[in-house]
Amino acid sequence: MHATEFLLPTRFGTGGLGGCYAPETLMQPLLDLEEAFRMALDDPSFRVELKSELRHFVGRPTPLTSATRLAAKFGLQGLFLKREDLTHTGAHKINNAMAQALLARRMGKSEIIAETGAGQHGVAAAAACARLGLKCTVYMGVTDMARQAPNVARMRLFGTKVVPVEAGQGTLKEAVNEALRAWAARCDKAHYILGSALGPHPFPTMVRTFQTVIGEEARAQMLEQTVSLPDAVIACAGGGSNGLGLLVPFLGDDLHRFAVEAGGHGSALGEHAARLDGGRLGVLHGCKTLLLQDQHGHTAETASISAGLDYPALGPELAALALDGKIEVLRASDAQALEAAQWLCESEGILPALESSHALALLPELAKRGFATVLLGLSGRGDKDLSTYQSKLGI
Amino acid sequence: MNKLLPFIMAGDPSLAALPQLLAEAKALGIEALEIGLPHSDPIADGPVLQAAAHRAIQRGATPLRVLEMLAGLTESPDLILFTYLNPLLQIGADRLLDLLWPTPVKALLVVDLPDSEEAEFEAKLRTAGFPMIPLLSPTTDIERAKGLLERRPDPGPGHPFAQRFAYVVARLGVTGTGDTTDLAPVRERVAALKAISDRPLAVGFGLSDSAAMAEVRAMGATPVIGSALVQALANGGGLVDILRSRMNG
Repeated sequence: MHATEFLLPTRFGTGGLGGCYAPETLMQPLLDLEEAFRMALDDPSFRVELKSELRHFVGRPTPLTSATRLAAKFGLQGLFLKREDLTHTGAHKINNAMAQALLARRMGKSEIIAETGAGQHGVAAAAACARLGLKCTVYMGVTDMARQAPNVARMRLFGTKVVPVEAGQGTLKEAVNEALRAWAARCDKAHYILGSALGPHPFPTMVRTFQTVIGEEARAQMLEQTVSLPDAVIACAGGGSNGLGLLVPFLGDDLHRFAVEAGGHGSALGEHAARLDGGRLGVLHGCKTLLLQDQHGHTAETASISAGLDYPALGPELAALALDGKIEVLRASDAQALEAAQWLCESEGILPALESSHALALLPELAKRGFATVLLGLSGRGDKDLSTYQSKLGI
Repeated sequence: MNKLLPFIMAGDPSLAALPQLLAEAKALGIEALEIGLPHSDPIADGPVLQAAAHRAIQRGATPLRVLEMLAGLTESPDLILFTYLNPLLQIGADRLLDLLWPTPVKALLVVDLPDSEEAEFEAKLRTAGFPMIPLLSPTTDIERAKGLLERRPDPGPGHPFAQRFAYVVARLGVTGTGDTTDLAPVRERVAALKAISDRPLAVGFGLSDSAAMAEVRAMGATPVIGSALVQALANGGGLVDILRSRMNG
């Protein structure tokens, strides 16, 4: 028997963002996916299995590191880094990839399709598939393949087929297009592991659910280490899986929540990936959300030094939380992110991913606004970005 | 029965050539034609229509220019506007209706718009005489198909084919020419759909040669020729030559 209707809420916030704007071929697979997701969450054996994989394979809980020297640099009383960079495969993406791979196996799917921008989600999906014995194909834009070459090699080592996507700018948007097409062709056998909190329902809800482990751990660790919550929590946001993962568990708390978008190298359309100021409501990749687009409703080009933030749409739940005033969205430019990466390297001996560096870049701003203690999501490690750092910083 | 439902991409090979192509199709006896409004992210289209949309956008075939080009055309088959939601959503229902009135467009086929998602927008268009064509895919079981056909109802025999038909997607995946040698599963689905509904059916996605077209007609349905026609036009072929050979058999 097939599921006939969605039982979870498909929309977010007062603006009713999200939804399920999918071609008919994908509707039944999406209905079936929601049902499998709900049943898995209700099944103690799934929760035990996921928890065990997160602990013994992914390396959770990840540490909360007090960054005292960097805090002092900006006059903050305390700065705490949630270390998703220390997960297996090096970014928060593995939390969701492993959970969805387990779900796919439960659904009897033998193949996995995934898209990737920075390559972190692709590597995470590839690793999860190798571990579970699933066949994996990852779609990746050619521009991203060039700038994140080490991740392409890692995926291939894990036995994943990496398919170059040449259309358009050769970045994440085109990779998602191609992954959706591939899924439509293989939906009888394959599960699509979407890597960010976007796409048609149930993906945004599912990805957020599998990523809130970041914020839940961080909240408990803050209370354990400091006996209080921070004044501000900040994370970078491409689609929003890292941003929601860290921020959602703090929604009920009296503190300030920030998400940081890619400011790129300018403020004109095409020079950044800052959707809150630059975007307006539209539909892309199955959901209604804030979207960078031209006056004709065609998706605009984007720019960011960080492949993981270089996407024209903000995830619908994060966009809804921003529009409803629950999360403040800021932006950091390419240059600011590069500078911030150096701060963390020099003050704390940690090499951040370019994505995470966008959140770090806002630390002076938070200090200026008077926040004393800050919790920052260090979403990933910077090994994949070494060649960019080398060429841009002349080291 | 309608023998052939062709698809062309507005703006490819050129926007200026559009009135002539439509006039030729009408003169050939084509009753209805799908006209693609090019979109930047055509997630349900294969390489041929992706490339055509890209070329059309490069040549300035914006939604407004396409609809303005269609305004006032009388020598044209009934048109079904085939596109993705976002460009239409940005225009808005009221302005879209103003733009559609003077054109030969009779219905819309919006690939990424399930009937539940923009109910008000869709109702406004349907009430004004521009219904959404339902899509039925290989993943649509017969119970689901019943619901889809009810929620996007047949306006009735007094209305043209362009407003009445349901679109049967022949295969999993995206539009394109391909290997559809085995149409047996499609035949079964068409028979099952005919048992629950007497509205006209069109079958598309992956049909390209005359034999496949004839086989679909033998099922009592109208074959769609899309990518094969768009590719032939892009290669400089003439619409009449391409369609004539596929209308018979």
